[in-house]
Amino acid sequence: MLKNYIKIAWRNIWNNKGYTFLNIFGLAIGITCAALILLWIDNEMSYNEYFADYEDIYTIKNTQTYGDETFVFEATPGPLAELMRNEIPGIGNVSRSASSESLFSHEEKNIHQTGKYVEPEFFEIFELKFIQGDPSTAFHDLHSIVVTESMARKFFGSGDVLNKTLRLNQGQSYVITAVIEDLPENISPRFRFSWLSPFKNYENANEWLQGWNNAIQTYVKPEANADIVSLNETLYGFIQTKLEDSESHLSLYPMDRWRLYNEFDKNGLEKEGIFKYVRLFGIIAGIILIIACINFMNLATARSEKRAREIGVRKVLGAQRKMLIVQFLSESVLLAFLATLLSIALIYIFLPPFNDLVNKQLILDLSDPLHLGALLMITIISGIFAGSFPSYYLSSFNPVKVIKGIKSKSSSAAFIRKGLVVFQFSISIILIIATVLVYQQINHVKNRDLGYDNEGLVFLPANENIKKNFQAISNELISSGAANELSLSGHTPVNIGSNGGGFQWPGKDPENDVLVSMESVSPSYIKTSGMELISGQDFNPNVEANESQVIINETLAKMIDKENAVGKVITRGDSQATVRGVVKDFVYNNIFGNETSPLILYPSSQDFNHLVINIDPDKRSTAVSAIERVMEKYNPGYPTELIYADEKLEEFMSNENMVGKLAAIFAGLAIIISCLGLFGLAAFTAERRIKEIGIRKVLGASVGRITTLLSVDFMKLVLISCLIAFPLAWWFARNWLENYPYRIDISIWIFVVAGLLAFLIAFFTVSFQALKAALTNPINNLRTE
Amino acid sequence: MIKITNLEKFYKTEEVQTLALNKLSFEVKEGEFVAIMGPSGSGKSTLLNILGMLDDSDGGSFLFNGEEVSDYNERKRAHLRKHNIGFVFQSFNLIDELSVFENVELPLIYTGIKLAERKEKVHSVLEKMQIMHRRNHFPQQLSGGQQQRVAVARAVVNNPKIILADEPTGNLDSSTGNEVMDLLCELNEAGTTIVMVTHSEHDARFSHRIIRMLDGQKVTENLNVLV
Ligand SMILES: Nc1ncnc2c1ncn2[C@@H]1O[C@H](COP(=O)(O)OP(=O)(O)O)[C@@H](O)[C@H]1O
Ligand SMILES: [Mg+2]
Repeated sequence: MLKNYIKIAWRNIWNNKGYTFLNIFGLAIGITCAALILLWIDNEMSYNEYFADYEDIYTIKNTQTYGDETFVFEATPGPLAELMRNEIPGIGNVSRSASSESLFSHEEKNIHQTGKYVEPEFFEIFELKFIQGDPSTAFHDLHSIVVTESMARKFFGSGDVLNKTLRLNQGQSYVITAVIEDLPENISPRFRFSWLSPFKNYENANEWLQGWNNAIQTYVKPEANADIVSLNETLYGFIQTKLEDSESHLSLYPMDRWRLYNEFDKNGLEKEGIFKYVRLFGIIAGIILIIACINFMNLATARSEKRAREIGVRKVLGAQRKMLIVQFLSESVLLAFLATLLSIALIYIFLPPFNDLVNKQLILDLSDPLHLGALLMITIISGIFAGSFPSYYLSSFNPVKVIKGIKSKSSSAAFIRKGLVVFQFSISIILIIATVLVYQQINHVKNRDLGYDNEGLVFLPANENIKKNFQAISNELISSGAANELSLSGHTPVNIGSNGGGFQWPGKDPENDVLVSMESVSPSYIKTSGMELISGQDFNPNVEANESQVIINETLAKMIDKENAVGKVITRGDSQATVRGVVKDFVYNNIFGNETSPLILYPSSQDFNHLVINIDPDKRSTAVSAIERVMEKYNPGYPTELIYADEKLEEFMSNENMVGKLAAIFAGLAIIISCLGLFGLAAFTAERRIKEIGIRKVLGASVGRITTLLSVDFMKLVLISCLIAFPLAWWFARNWLENYPYRIDISIWIFVVAGLLAFLIAFFTVSFQALKAALTNPINNLRTE
Repeated sequence: MIKITNLEKFYKTEEVQTLALNKLSFEVKEGEFVAIMGPSGSGKSTLLNILGMLDDSDGGSFLFNGEEVSDYNERKRAHLRKHNIGFVFQSFNLIDELSVFENVELPLIYTGIKLAERKEKVHSVLEKMQIMHRRNHFPQQLSGGQQQRVAVARAVVNNPKIILADEPTGNLDSSTGNEVMDLLCELNEAGTTIVMVTHSEHDARFSHRIIRMLDGQKVTENLNVLV
């Protein structure tokens, strides 16, 4: 029986190659899209699974509330780990950890590598795969280092590396005590490392770790039977048992949520991070698959009249409805299988560009039962879904009527068909609007006035050489005309790292603590950055003359004194400083934010990580080579890895960029698939009305008239789609934009453009068929015998 | 009005070449009623299609009102056709989705006539064809004879100079067939030229002249004795 079905199905497919191709191609695009997104989702969901017990591993989060806003950091004080070990029963293994990007050297090779200073218990918490050496001995000596296989290869090629040494930051040599397997790509980016070295090294170099600054990470793997809820209760007030008025409340944050969540709202409550994209793209991939299945439904039911006779005869000969349903379903599943075969080829073709887009190395592995199974599932589900309505509809034909040639008006099927087309186009239009909107928002942020010279700024990680020779470097670059101005700073503006509470000033309510960001700068910082001083004075070029003086931003100035904050004294604990000047608010950290948080720029002589250079954006390449030359002289042996402020800004929009690109792709696919369907439907309509067209032509209708006649019904559907899509798109747009306080207004032009685009594309698709029909010689279709 | 000389038409299918018209010549004068007869496949419909400018000939000449039509382009022919020729088919070829009124109205729309005038013309022709009471019905709600009367109404609504009818009674029983033939005669008496293809000797007798065809050639041409 099944063989008979498949035979018939095959003949049907073969005899209607055109329609079959449209169906298979549309379905294949849908399946390809769904498969690529599933691969991406699978990858996102598998983050950190590398560590088998990742559900039982935690980092410590630090929640602090200032006014009505709560902040969540992953930063803890230096003494915490030891106190936890001693005082919290059941806490299990605890390790401090500090990340560092450091320069390693071996012979001629100087390479920056990111790694961590950790305690030996780190190896108990994270089960790493040791290729050489073992965890128990890896940290026996202070100057030992564990490296990943690929880091080892970068320096030593394929040779044995155990007991070889690497120089760190052109100073101390470290002995390689173990080699571990590279971490896979699906590890939280901030956790990734290429090397590990004893925390003691970091502690020795940073005395402030003895204090209570929140600056390092603490990882925990509680004992197997530990009660996490009660551990969290203990941790919540733990810091306060040491430091009475601390704002810090600690909690355990599990590794299985590091990737997909790890964002927190104004109340400090966890919200979805990447996960919202996982869900969004999952839904969209599903919708694209549905759009592709709709093509099948529409073409199958539209062509039903042609098959009515077959169905009638089968029924007269005794076929039951159930059998017919099975027959039609096997046809659609067979078709879905053919589509899947095609889509496997498409997946292989489109995986590399897709990987570039999402910045991953996804692979399709057909020998992996998960991949094969998922593909089979998609095939069968879409086959059955696509065949559901047609089989139900076709099998309902009344055999007597059908054989007598009485055409049922089949208005229900036609109505559903129109509804499905409207669905397809509504989705397409929404996606077009989404694409335009995301790009507008990205551009809006890119072009916003940041309050500093984003195009002209270049950063270079500052080491001792650079700090020591700053004046000479500065003089040389400015006098040669390569740079306009130079300064030193702690961070780049998109990433100002330190903040804290506990500040007081005259007239401040002592109960209401304010979180203030702090950035250490050298005297020329404001000029170099191109920021605007709105009152008071800039720093004195002589560093010493700035003793206990700070420049604050407008927001903080308004908090201190609405009229004039200059000259006011800010205190924190034992230290105090006088406001020397007020800088116009510039955008830092939160580039999508509308309000600026309070900020203090304080002069420092040491506390710097970045050299800031202001160059002419038009003369970038000559400036860069001049900088490289000067650096070779003052900072030999270090690679000059410049960071451009505008590129750094782009990095912070990478999620938005990805969403924008994916939205564009989804919109394109939705439109392509919908148009394939429309193309088929238009062909079918032209075919069905071919006699009418002939009559009209004989009666004198022009080609233009007939084309319009055939197109107008479809155009009406697109119009209805617009009416449905616009309010929905507007609603989605408003919701999405709410994530960005600094945002565009939704302009009606987006809707006009999206509607017109859909309209034009649909019109070309349909009018092609209509024109073809209008141009055929009518007598071919009016033959009477 | 119509003069064809040595008209030829081939049909090429994959392997066979059919000579549907073979050096056919005859003339139709204004006001004449000509019947064309011949067995199935003798080329009658092909001839009518060419006369109606729906199809090209492959050789010979076709003068319509003294103009050589065979080398006119599609646009010019469509224009000539629209204003001069009405068609009646064996299978009526009414548009199922349009009402009687709308079917008859179509040629007027295509020649760009205003609504009020269209209404008037359609009504008068429907009245003449005695089908006025059915003007809001759809073709499938009518009998065969009524449908053909609608088709004739549609053919004449534009006041064409000539009506080309391909077996207009072929799908009708003899009494309704006669009604349609009476209609055509009336039109002819009012001055419309008619060229009609028919299988029926009975119908042919209504004409002034009978042209008999075989294998794309004219075999005889005689004046109708009854007239
Ligand atoms: N479109 C066509 N393609 C091929 N052959 C055709 C076509 N139309 C008609 N013929 C052939 O041309 C000949 C004349 O056909 P037709 O004019 O329809 O004859 P009639 O109307 O007298 O029955 C026949 O042999 C027919 O098979
Ligand atoms: Mg014929």
